[in-house]
Amino acid sequence: MKCILNTGRTVPQGASVEHKGSELYSTVASACFLNPVDMMMLGIENGDRVRVTTPAGHIVLTARPAEGVARGEIFVAIGPYANHIISSETHGTGMPDFKSQSVDVEPTEEPIKSVGELMEAIGGLRYDRT
Amino acid sequence: MIERDVVCPFCGCLCDDLELETEGGKIVKVQNGCSLAESTFMNDTRLPAPIRRTETGWEDISYNEAIKETAEILRDADRPLLYGWSSTHGEAQSIGVHIAELIGAVIDNTSTVCHGPSILAIQEVGHPGCTLGQVKNRADVIIYWGANPVEAHPRHMSRYTTYATGFFVPEARRERTVIVVDTRRTDTANIADEFVQIERGGDYAVFSALRAIVRGNASVIPRKVAGVSKEQLIRIAEICKKAKFGAIFFGLGLTMSRGKYKNIRNAIELTDELNRHTKFVISPLRGHGNVYGSNEVFTWMTGYPFAVDFARGIAFYNPGETTAVDILRRGECDAALIVASDPGANFPRAAAAHLAKIPTVVIDPHVNATTALSRIHIPCTAAGIDAAGTAYRMDGVPIRLKKVIDRGYPDDAEILKKIYDLLNGGMGP
Ligand code: SF4
Repeated sequence: MKCILNTGRTVPQGASVEHKGSELYSTVASACFLNPVDMMMLGIENGDRVRVTTPAGHIVLTARPAEGVARGEIFVAIGPYANHIISSETHGTGMPDFKSQSVDVEPTEEPIKSVGELMEAIGGLRYDRT
Repeated sequence: MIERDVVCPFCGCLCDDLELETEGGKIVKVQNGCSLAESTFMNDTRLPAPIRRTETGWEDISYNEAIKETAEILRDADRPLLYGWSSTHGEAQSIGVHIAELIGAVIDNTSTVCHGPSILAIQEVGHPGCTLGQVKNRADVIIYWGANPVEAHPRHMSRYTTYATGFFVPEARRERTVIVVDTRRTDTANIADEFVQIERGGDYAVFSALRAIVRGNASVIPRKVAGVSKEQLIRIAEICKKAKFGAIFFGLGLTMSRGKYKNIRNAIELTDELNRHTKFVISPLRGHGNVYGSNEVFTWMTGYPFAVDFARGIAFYNPGETTAVDILRRGECDAALIVASDPGANFPRAAAAHLAKIPTVVIDPHVNATTALSRIHIPCTAAGIDAAGTAYRMDGVPIRLKKVIDRGYPDDAEILKKIYDLLNGGMGP
């Protein structure tokens, strides 16, 4: 299903933002909020996983229903999951399209990656001794 | 021990009325703060010592070694990028600017990916703003546009707007009309007296429609504008015109969506239009604790608020070219110093990926996503917790952050000063 990806801050994201290695952070940052009708169309339930694809790449997220999200849109908290698929083009403003990236959403069985795995996918090495 | 009037350094509200209870050098209780303040002070897990990435893993190194290697990395670089600065104090920010000037680096702060576009608009048409104290004591119409303070600035409404008792608005909730404009029905929208749900990317058109109505040209407005009915637009315009003092606060919903800085420009021009009828002000809801301070410090030192390029020996500013995301996307920089921020998590993947390809040094109290992309991570104090310093609230009021406890870490300003000294042959800034 074609959608527009919207991102933003949330309290749980803000409260765990200094603990990006934590499971809590990864749970909040990898939640994908969809309109319940869109979830029905996709044949998925709360907690199922979706694969969200853009020209920049794809990411697996956990689907959560949210009445406040308009149909044809998805909402993901600001962070490494959303950024994994957002284009780095800024149209000469310095600011990427954090709120208007078009995406393709489909159900999947693939697992959710950790923040460490996402960073390792781009050449990083996770530090998990704290 | 009880410490009163503590400033919370987490978001741009910089609430200065917290009460902290400390016991044996530890913070055990936070009062008056929101849940974000609580986790800022209570769950403050730090990186214990400087670390360096090796072929196979991470090794601990001494501060001296880490600082020396950082200076070498910066000295050897042709086009270094110094990025971050929003979660530390002005003292560290100013040394950052000195380093940038000394080595001909690009220095940019996190406003580049939050309210950078607001600054571009303000540079075009000015900023009819005021301090939050004025809003608290006078505003009877509050508009949150593309902003969700319930989630991002949890005490903004109770300290300054919706629920705050003001001198001229003693019965806050009854006397203040709250309008929320958003594409999503957020928790902030649920509190509003009037919620305007607009179609994604429709902000510019809705501002233009409101400007036309306020000017007395309602007849040219179609039945619906970006999903908003003409009746509602006329009603909103009337509420605004009848206000004694109106205040618009806008968030990333405007700066990040289609139109970017042009949205803000139109919002400021609507404010201008409304000032022909009554008093109206507009201000961005700035995110990180001291992101506004980074704009202030950069501006008074270089003339520009962010994205400053010293490669030519003078300060050069061209957002879209000298902004961090663009420099990383083009793979232009060959070394990076990241201070008090986390581009690894907050930049699009292609931009973040370049950090792993070049020597990147992080100076930050916490392990974050950028740690994984770095070569060296140097832990330091957290401004407002174990370091004092100056921060600017979202309305531009400087507030002194307090040092509440001592955790034995060096101040980031101190670390940066040592790096500067090494780069300058032992001479300080
Ligand atoms: S609103 Fe912001 S500054 Fe105030 S306590 Fe909460 S996080 Fe801290």
